[in-house]
Amino acid sequence: MVSYTLKRVGAALLTLLLIMAITFFLMNAIPGSPFLTEKSTPQQIALANAKYGLDKPLIVQLKNYVVNYLKGDLGTSLKMQEGTPVKDIIFHQGKFVLSIKLGLISLAVAIIIGIPLGCIAAYNRGTWLDGFLRVMTTVGVAIPGFVLATLLLATFAVKLHILPTNSGQLTDWKSYIMPIISMSFYYVCYVAKLTRTSMLDAINQDYIRTARAKGVKTKMIVLKHALRNSLIPVITYLGPVTAGIITGSFVVESTFQIPGLGKYYVQCVMSRDYPVIMATTVVLSALVIFMNLVVDIAYKIVDPRITLTNKEA
Amino acid sequence: MADFSKISPFQVDPSAIEEAVTFSPEDFEPASEGEKESMVEKRKSVSYWKDAARRFKANHVSMVALFIFILVLIFAFIGPKLIPYSYGDQYRSSQKLGPREFSEGEALIAKASSYFDGFYATALQPGSITAVMKGEQYVTKSGKTYAFTQEKNEEGVIIGFEKSSGNLVKVYEKDIDPATGAVKNATVLAEAPSEPAEGASELKLVKRVFPHMFGTDSVGRDLMARTMYGARVSILIGIMAALIVLIIGSIYGAISGLSGGTVDFIMMRIVELIYSIPEVLIVLLLQVVLREPLQEWIDHSGSSLAHAAGALGSGIICIFITFALLYWVTMARIVRGQVLQLRKQEYVTAAIALGAGNKRIIRRHLLPNCVGALVITTCLQIPSAIFLESFLSFLGLGVSAPMASLGSLCSDALQTITLYPYRLIYPAVILTIIVLTLNLVGDGLRDALDPRLKK
Repeated sequence: MVSYTLKRVGAALLTLLLIMAITFFLMNAIPGSPFLTEKSTPQQIALANAKYGLDKPLIVQLKNYVVNYLKGDLGTSLKMQEGTPVKDIIFHQGKFVLSIKLGLISLAVAIIIGIPLGCIAAYNRGTWLDGFLRVMTTVGVAIPGFVLATLLLATFAVKLHILPTNSGQLTDWKSYIMPIISMSFYYVCYVAKLTRTSMLDAINQDYIRTARAKGVKTKMIVLKHALRNSLIPVITYLGPVTAGIITGSFVVESTFQIPGLGKYYVQCVMSRDYPVIMATTVVLSALVIFMNLVVDIAYKIVDPRITLTNKEA
Repeated sequence: MADFSKISPFQVDPSAIEEAVTFSPEDFEPASEGEKESMVEKRKSVSYWKDAARRFKANHVSMVALFIFILVLIFAFIGPKLIPYSYGDQYRSSQKLGPREFSEGEALIAKASSYFDGFYATALQPGSITAVMKGEQYVTKSGKTYAFTQEKNEEGVIIGFEKSSGNLVKVYEKDIDPATGAVKNATVLAEAPSEPAEGASELKLVKRVFPHMFGTDSVGRDLMARTMYGARVSILIGIMAALIVLIIGSIYGAISGLSGGTVDFIMMRIVELIYSIPEVLIVLLLQVVLREPLQEWIDHSGSSLAHAAGALGSGIICIFITFALLYWVTMARIVRGQVLQLRKQEYVTAAIALGAGNKRIIRRHLLPNCVGALVITTCLQIPSAIFLESFLSFLGLGVSAPMASLGSLCSDALQTITLYPYRLIYPAVILTIIVLTLNLVGDGLRDALDPRLKK
């Protein structure tokens, strides 16, 4: 177990390092200098390059960049908010908190609504309810998040005027509704589908028959025996969900004008503010990688059979 | 008949052997019809593909999905040929129209169209943007040519056959009564068929004004034409990206699975690394980084490859590169798994024992058995590529105007959502239908091609 955890942590760190290297080299591959404006002279650019250490050899720059990140120094913004430390932009201006708040609520909604829906579908297999849920989840995973977001916006904000078009700082409960629905709907559907399938798998197992033979009530069987065992595939899916929710935040934050990290990332990618792009990429990647790591380890704790069955596959 | 059953291995009786191997003359008689019958194949053996096709046809959901997807294909690929508008043309007088609406000029001409038997109007339709040019011109009607000379550039003019007299006439828009569509001051251009002069240009007549079914955008482009075109671009991107994934993923996976040992170990660690990269972040970066150098290469390199790339636009090429770099890993894993599993099968061992070479084993045993998994994964890759493309276009990083994709149409519509919400509905619904039907077809293919995977 310990060696497994260590291996996973090592792999995660390696991935993070790889991502840092990729972003670094990609940023350097962009033609032109970030300081290039209509007015700037070659001397000014050279001076600015020297100031930010952009005149050193690439490999030295990469080393400095990694070392600085380890020290917690994420550099300073070159364009969007010139001279402001990136760390302040990400963590102290409320962007990170806003995005994390949205992401966590969406994740929670995906689990809290998705799993019971899957259970209900499996429990009522073959009935109209199951059919309805199946249609809903199938359609749900086919609707791109931005389509849902814009459709919601068109209906509830523009036509009916029930909800605000601009969610802003998420100060009021109404402003949460549409962003959360558009971010989590896909995952609610996916988790429900997944739960239903693995529930049906579990129901056919021998231990369920044994429990039934012993006279355990159906409800108890579903909750205690079937559900617990069918949650394993759902847990593995939570890693990708985190990545997906971050992706979703790009669209949702842009659509509903929430000044979070996702919207900011898209903006700074467009304006080519290198240090901010690098820092945001690394922070978001670290989040995803960490979540994957947690899921991997949790998976192993929940189901000790994993190593045995996974060796061959 | 020779009866060998009497010979017991434990009891060697020479007379029994002799009796057994003695043939009677009847043994050499030709077989009777009844005996022949039993040798004939009663039912045709069902091939893998026929079997799969039968299973797929029995799956109603997938069949309906396939049917709807074919309708979308017709809409996207044949539709543009049926409507008179093109995705990039801007019709000056028809900006910001709602669905099935006409602009003022178009409404006027529609009103007056009962007066004409085939007409050419300068405010819309094939010659819509340009005025009727000066010079020799002719129109053809039921095999006959009518030539006329046009004096100067004219706008707001309709040339057509008068229904009552059959003459080719010219009418100015201002001479049409907007309420009744009555026409006055029609100038006769030609009364009888005549030979066109050398170098005369033909005007194509149309029968009626075509409405803007989905409306038009703020610069007067027909949204139905754009949606058709966008659907085509999205579907093509999906198919191309899936093919890229198929080629890279299957080659990588096959090499890894076949070589085994250290090579396999290292190759799979690389796959794991790429797999754990949150790809959307890198995709966004790649889009920004690659755009300019690509554009430069397209503009300055004279090679035919650069020309082809230029036709697609740098945004789409970026999407392909992204898929080539990051999205093949799932395919590689699946192929490797299949190869590993198949290599251990008894029939492969038997083939090796019989002296079959690597080439023959791959061609005869591994490939045909992998095909199912390859088809399924490729098919399910298409909607995910369309998803990604529309996501990028939505953020403003995919295809660039005047080209359109379903994602960029949605993104354009979002700018004006408060005033024209219907502009969003059409591309969004078509995008959803494409993804949904492809998912369902993919599921059906999985059930049909690989029943073991069915859940």
